Amino acid sequence: MPTKIFIVDDDESVCRALKTLLMTYDFEVRTFNSAQDFFDTIAPEDPGCLLLDIHMPGLDGWETQKKILATGSKRPVIFISAEKKDDAHDRALKVGAVGFLQKPVNGQTLVDLINSSARN
Amino acid sequence: MKIKTRGNLEEQIRQGADREKLGADREKQGANREKLAEEQIQVRTKAMESTFDGIFIIDAKKPNFPIIYANPSFYSLTGYSRNEVIGKNYFLLYGLDDNSRIYEEIKKTLRQGKSFHGEMLNFKKNGEKFWSLLRITLVRDKNGITTHYVGNKTDTTLMRQRDLEIAEQREELLHVTRVGKLAEFVSSLAHEISQPLTAILSYAQAAQRTLKDREPQVQEILQFIVNDDQRAAEVIRRLRSLLKKNKPTFEPLDINVIINDTVRLIMPHITAGNKIVKLDLDTSLPYFQGDRIQLQQVILNLISNSLEAMESSEDSHELIIKTSRKGKEMIMVEVKDSGCGIPEENMKKLFAHFFTSKPDGLGMGLSISRSIVEAHGGHLEAKNNPDQGATFYFTIPVNLKNDL
Repeated sequence: MPTKIFIVDDDESVCRALKTLLMTYDFEVRTFNSAQDFFDTIAPEDPGCLLLDIHMPGLDGWETQKKILATGSKRPVIFISAEKKDDAHDRALKVGAVGFLQKPVNGQTLVDLINSSARN
Repeated sequence: MKIKTRGNLEEQIRQGADREKLGADREKQGANREKLAEEQIQVRTKAMESTFDGIFIIDAKKPNFPIIYANPSFYSLTGYSRNEVIGKNYFLLYGLDDNSRIYEEIKKTLRQGKSFHGEMLNFKKNGEKFWSLLRITLVRDKNGITTHYVGNKTDTTLMRQRDLEIAEQREELLHVTRVGKLAEFVSSLAHEISQPLTAILSYAQAAQRTLKDREPQVQEILQFIVNDDQRAAEVIRRLRSLLKKNKPTFEPLDINVIINDTVRLIMPHITAGNKIVKLDLDTSLPYFQGDRIQLQQVILNLISNSLEAMESSEDSHELIIKTSRKGKEMIMVEVKDSGCGIPEENMKKLFAHFFTSKPDGLGMGLSISRSIVEAHGGHLEAKNNPDQGATFYFTIPVNLKNDL
């Protein structure tokens, strides 16, 4: 069974491009333009890795992760953001994420991280 | 007859005595007048000698216009002694090197029979600089001929220094604001550009994987796209680290002092625009931990916005800045204007990057202000007033542990 990937990013073009790329690795990918869309569609227990943008209108990445943790979900989360603050990587790990990648993301680096999270 | 004669004689004697008395009275009155005049002169001289202003009198009838009197303040102000001043030409006293243009102007004004009024840089005898406000007025006789010039010199160095200090502080704050705006601008721009770069890189890498070992020429082109995408990303990364925002330096602060300082800096701008700022400050507010310059930036930005909102209207000219305590934990600052208010459709976008309603605005001011206030643990909001204009208000938490 292919690993499921969910992408939450308010930039539609980014969602589409990452989906196109990850599908070449045979992942099953679903995209959402807001965290609310994601919560409305995907149940906490549905398995799959989440690629999460940080700066978004409405719920931002940090708040989304907090909400995911609050549901007791063990979903692996990878933060992907254009902005790299010094502490973003540490902060991502601290809130239970698998990792933090800065945009533009290299495909292979992303896939390696997804695979390692799936193994764990 | 006798009686009459005697009477006449007595009369004559009495009249004589009266005349004598009158003469004595007149003499006495004359002496009194002289005494009074002398007293008046003494009072006036003392007044001239005790004033802080340097006063000097020039004889206008002599060809070289010599100084014939100078009061003690004039000597202490200029550092010259009596011998070096009396009988000398005022302009020669100062030399003609630096201020020759201004001295020509003074001479021209006086020749036209007008008084002179101007501020200039002077040098004391020891070379020390001082700013002085000089006024020279003409003294005329009953025929209208100018007999004397009276000069009045006030030391304005301290006032000048304070003005300069304020100007320097204002420049420093504006510089920090400009750098802050630039950093925020680059950061927003970097964010906006990183999105399409992410998409381009992903598409190119997806195409490479789709082709696998086919089409080597297209593979090469795709690799060029990937390389250039990464090069662009690197440029942005470097630009961002170059303009990294300074970390705030937190210290115990009094919000009222910050507001007073900022208002003082922008006061010339406020008065030039014919506006009034009213301060309604709660003096019992506790100290809090914050970055002085950053918070000055916020206040300056809110005041500037309010002034601009009131610019077009003649009726609206009052700006109120209020501080108060909000519960135990928070300090509240409100900047209330009586300007044009905020259109409902702009309310939501007000704090977004690049959003501006001004033709020459960058749309950075409010977004920077909000991120500064949030970095202090507070919130910045806006609302329209029920009657006229808008109020921007923010909170700053009071860290009770640091309460001084």
